[in-house]
Amino acid sequence: MFDFLTHDMLAIIWFFLWCVIWGVYFIVDSFSLGAGLLTPFIATDKVQRTQIQSSVGPFWGGNEVWLILAAGGTFAAFPLVFSKMFTFLYLPMMLLLIGLIARGISIEYLHKDENPQIQKILMWGWFAGSLLISLVLGVAFANFFKGLEISSGGVYIGTLIGLFSPYALVGGVLFVLMSATSGALWINVKTEGDVAAKAGDLAKKSTLIVLVLALVYLAYSFMGIEGFTINYSATPALYLLPVLAVVGAILAVFFAKKDRGFPAFCSNLLAFLFVVESGLASIYPYMLKSSVSLEYGIDIFEAASSHMTLSVMLGGALVFVPIVIIYQLWAYTLFKEKIKETEQVDY
Amino acid sequence: MIELLLLSRLQFAITAAFHFIFVPLTLGLALLVAVMETMYYRNKNETWRKMADFWGNIFKINFAIGLVSGITLTFQLGTNWGAYAEFMGDVFGPPLAMEALFAFFLEGTFLGAWIFLGHNRQKLKAFSMWMVALGTNISSLWIIIANGFMQHPVGYEMAADGSKVVMTDFIALITNGYVWYMLVHTLLAAYLLTSFVIMGICAYHFLKGNNNEVFKKSFSIAVIIALATAVMLPVLGHGYAQYVAALQPTKGAAMDAIWETGSSVPMYLIQVPDSSTGSNSIQLLGIPGLASFLYTGSFSGTITGLNQLPQDELPPVEMIFWSFRLMTILGSLFIIVALLGLYLQKSGKLYTSKKYLKLLMWSIPLPYITITAGWIVAEVGRQPWMVYGLLKTANGVSLVPTSDVLLSMVLISAFYMVLLIFEIYLIKKTVVNATGVE
Repeated sequence: MFDFLTHDMLAIIWFFLWCVIWGVYFIVDSFSLGAGLLTPFIATDKVQRTQIQSSVGPFWGGNEVWLILAAGGTFAAFPLVFSKMFTFLYLPMMLLLIGLIARGISIEYLHKDENPQIQKILMWGWFAGSLLISLVLGVAFANFFKGLEISSGGVYIGTLIGLFSPYALVGGVLFVLMSATSGALWINVKTEGDVAAKAGDLAKKSTLIVLVLALVYLAYSFMGIEGFTINYSATPALYLLPVLAVVGAILAVFFAKKDRGFPAFCSNLLAFLFVVESGLASIYPYMLKSSVSLEYGIDIFEAASSHMTLSVMLGGALVFVPIVIIYQLWAYTLFKEKIKETEQVDY
Repeated sequence: MIELLLLSRLQFAITAAFHFIFVPLTLGLALLVAVMETMYYRNKNETWRKMADFWGNIFKINFAIGLVSGITLTFQLGTNWGAYAEFMGDVFGPPLAMEALFAFFLEGTFLGAWIFLGHNRQKLKAFSMWMVALGTNISSLWIIIANGFMQHPVGYEMAADGSKVVMTDFIALITNGYVWYMLVHTLLAAYLLTSFVIMGICAYHFLKGNNNEVFKKSFSIAVIIALATAVMLPVLGHGYAQYVAALQPTKGAAMDAIWETGSSVPMYLIQVPDSSTGSNSIQLLGIPGLASFLYTGSFSGTITGLNQLPQDELPPVEMIFWSFRLMTILGSLFIIVALLGLYLQKSGKLYTSKKYLKLLMWSIPLPYITITAGWIVAEVGRQPWMVYGLLKTANGVSLVPTSDVLLSMVLISAFYMVLLIFEIYLIKKTVVNATGVE
């Protein structure tokens, strides 16, 4: 299969798919994460909590699978990267894992028990899990763009503290805020009543902060991160990516201000997607860039699986990714009504 | 290094065993709830709807932990078994990615749809549950394809520098005989566990004098599944064990603790193996030639003993032996319990047989123990190999700080304990209240 493609071409295609899968994950999970981040602050009672929970309930599980696909895809297409990424970042990955477990359980069990104390713990569990996921991933991706401290022979010399550089912190906060904004706009679009109004007001402010922070982050990336501009200089068309990110962030501010929730939501996703892609475009041909010296990084050609494995996976992805997208979109059309305070689903 | 390896293995063992507490019930209930939803769609009989809702609620609670605890296993292949991931990625990665693509998306997407669709859209609701059932069951196929390679590597060649395996035949990975023996065994065991959980819960309500249609009907379905799977498991399991013994003589010999090579090997009903002496410290009631027959199909067949196999390639014999015994003894018990249940039900004495109903209730943990014992035979029995004949477990571990592994293990274990307690509490509450069943 795909014998007409060389191994290098397959590796490049898979790097592209890898960037797409991560980008899709970040945007589709953003609103469930954001809902978790905001629930403690905008839901005043169980009714409103249930509204928010029901607005993401049908979707979060299927959306999280994009993360599992990103991990599984990395394992299959670039085993070396899978191994090194998880080994180098052992503790952050464990934190991410605990966040994922806490978030999933909290959403599913939120109101399974009538005890208000337990419900409260689970609400904060949902918050903490969402915060861990978005923060760890934000910090991790900033570090991927900046480069990990990989020394000669692929030896990792970084420390846990070393991961929290100012750049990584800006990245972490930006990812958290973009998720929160996504959640606010989603709640604004998908629910009715008090909670929708509060979320809409919040989005007016948060879209503005996201815009400022995205500009800072991108400026920092292009001016303060070594090697970031190499691919951009070689292929100026790539500048479209950060431009789209900024355009998205500006449109989000504009639409949020006009109380047009859905376009604002989409604009914010556009910003999020292209912030991620701007960074990923900068690291090619590396997947794990080294901040010690570029030559120590792990590049896609070195990390890629065999021609056979990449081909089989490409075949599987070309057939099944479109099918998945179709039935996931269908699921959104199933539950397109706004969730009212009076309609409480037994979840 | 020893501590690192031990802790990494312990962490994987804890998290894998924990994950598999939830998987079998998910596999079985998904199919049963799908059937119930469909029956309700077809004949609008309220009993079917109540059944779907009651078992569906238990399914939801159980599924949530199964879903999140599975992620832990994927993560650990990178965090703790990075060397393994590099060695095996070419072969092991694709089934994992396919599992996400073919199975997890179906499960995740349609579970949400099934939960949030009301019975007023019954056709879609039933369809969604079928998709969940399809997803969960396909998921087991892909993960067993990956595990099958670890047990019996096929369709690969070693890289020129010997550093990793390279896939040469993807179809061979799927048609690997080991995969299909293991898949059938695992799925049957999952359905058996599901039927025993259902019977146990029904028994609880019968004991309370709550003989309504929902539990009666559930019981009559479960008891048939219990009997069918309990009989099929040893029948097919026998073929599976023979197949394994031929491919992995070390695991095979350890299952019955056969120490010395010989023909017409007896099987002892009472036996206590001792690996420090390489013999049994107690062996009584030997049935002549039975071990030979079970292993080779001939009473005079030859079995290679543990003492004649490479000594540095033996698994922990006692652990495998006792797990295997436990599995087979409990497995036999299930046939008796299921037969008794069917008899009592047909003769109309079921609801008054208090002792039997109590036995059923207390039997709920047994299939869980049996399945865990089975996994110990399969996975610990493969030791010291991580990939049989190709990679030792000691060479698969990530060289991360031992303190990190200790920390993560303690954190995850503590977290899991809380989840488990909460989950059992919720399931118990759902069972006891049986909201909407009346």
